[in-house]
Amino acid sequence: MSLLDLSNVDAYYGESHILRDVTMSVEEGEICALLGRNGAGKTTTLRSIAGATPPEVRDGTVTFKGRDITGTPAEDVSAGGISLVPEERRIFPNLTVAENLHLAEVVRNKSNTWGRSLSFDHEGMSTEDVYAQFPRLDERRSQRAGTLSGGEQQMLAIARALKQSTDLLLLDEPYEGLAPKIIEDVEEAVRQISEDGTTILLVEQNAAAAIKLADRAYVIDQGGIVFDGTADELRADEATRERYLGV
Amino acid sequence: MSILSELMVILLNGLQQGAIYVLLAVGLSIILGTLKFVNFAHGALYLIGTYAGLFIALDVTLSSGKLQEWGYADIGLGWGFLAALILVPMLVFAIGLLMERLLARSFYDRPDTDQILVTFGLAIVVQELFRVLFGSNSLPFNQPEYILSVIPVSGPMTLPIVGQFPRWRLWVIGITAVLVGLVYLLVEHTDFGLVVRAGTRDAEMVRLLGIKISRPYLVVFGIGAALAGVAGVVGGPLNVVNPTVGMDILVPAFLTVVIGGVGTIAGAVVGGLVIGLTQAALIGLPALTIGSFTLNFSPWAQVGLYAIAAIILLVRPQGILGDEEVAP
Repeated sequence: MSLLDLSNVDAYYGESHILRDVTMSVEEGEICALLGRNGAGKTTTLRSIAGATPPEVRDGTVTFKGRDITGTPAEDVSAGGISLVPEERRIFPNLTVAENLHLAEVVRNKSNTWGRSLSFDHEGMSTEDVYAQFPRLDERRSQRAGTLSGGEQQMLAIARALKQSTDLLLLDEPYEGLAPKIIEDVEEAVRQISEDGTTILLVEQNAAAAIKLADRAYVIDQGGIVFDGTADELRADEATRERYLGV
Repeated sequence: MSILSELMVILLNGLQQGAIYVLLAVGLSIILGTLKFVNFAHGALYLIGTYAGLFIALDVTLSSGKLQEWGYADIGLGWGFLAALILVPMLVFAIGLLMERLLARSFYDRPDTDQILVTFGLAIVVQELFRVLFGSNSLPFNQPEYILSVIPVSGPMTLPIVGQFPRWRLWVIGITAVLVGLVYLLVEHTDFGLVVRAGTRDAEMVRLLGIKISRPYLVVFGIGAALAGVAGVVGGPLNVVNPTVGMDILVPAFLTVVIGGVGTIAGAVVGGLVIGLTQAALIGLPALTIGSFTLNFSPWAQVGLYAIAAIILLVRPQGILGDEEVAP
């Protein structure tokens, strides 16, 4: 049994049929990449796993740690150990840096779970460790996140992901719109999260960068899985790369 | 009376009138800012607060309405004002929770116009229900004389510079300041408040962090309702008590929110003060005589509210303390 299994998932945005019979799995401890062109269904796949709506999963099942979590609300999926770091930074511009980071652990405070049981095995990083790793954020603790530069906001988004207690991290386009220097920082952070024992499902348009990190990869096109193999196999499979990824 | 003391009286009257608007606007503004819910029934909560406050605090004998016809004309409990001040917020808080669960929740994702229609409809239903039960007449809501039988809260008190000023009005200002301060602490300095403020911007991201946001939303609605109830209790003895007060106070309450800026407590306070002071100034300023022409300001008190709102919104469409990005 894998950590995460999708079997024959069909997902819709309103009446448009986006995911068609998607079957894939993520093994405990690996970095798995889900690659494909813009509009291929990558984000829809992640949102279907995380319980974010839309899309609506009308058929098939999502299983996490052997439990069927299809259609579970996003907050319960998250409390159960799956964290989605969505596209664009999605930090809270009206809150300070410290408040943004604190929100990632609010759910761990007993009085905030509102009767739900939390079930994750991996604790997120402590605030001190996060600040030690990102001194820039430390300096700007009490500054509103909306006033940070683009790069700093990205750092904050990653720092928040590091703080989340989670067993499966879903990363949606973490490299999008970043300068090469910052991409390296992100790669470093992803490696570190992985080494700390959290499994990662990484969605990217930048296939070359993603393959570098990943153990295994899926390629999705027009809502269906068209390739499934190790990162090395994908590197060797020139036809697939050219046809579906353009690299 | 010196000019200074006249100005001070206008200032204090403005603070007092503004305080009622602040109590209403804080709830309205948080609900609008966090839940994106336009609650035209907020005035109905004030209405319920006023009547409930009256019936709890005093012995009331109805002179019209169905209750009187059915033989229940004496319905006041006469438990005193402090009891009203404690029980009414609890009652209206509970009504707020019911409103959120049974009505508002299903409309969060619907357009503003649907929200306005359904809440306006509810406001009319409540108003007419009160008219049928308690009659259309204005009921006398006497200012309380004592709280806990020893603390005098009525009659004039002598202040430095100002001279004589109605003691109850000062109490209204004080009660408002304490309550708004408490809500401010709750929103700015607790995890609950942090979740609410984050939810204002990106509710989905909050949920993706594992936080069940529907619970804080429910509480926000209840708190907003409770504040409207308090406004009804403390404002009751200063305004009239009849079934239309809810609708009458709704418009200035919304003006307060848009002037101050949606979703901020500080904005609601500033907006309330601007409206209260404008109203008090136009009512309190002496007539201006230039030659044979006399300009009397007080008939312009209502118009003045809209004029000042228009000017502020022309200069700052997001309101005085509003955030540009969340401007409606």
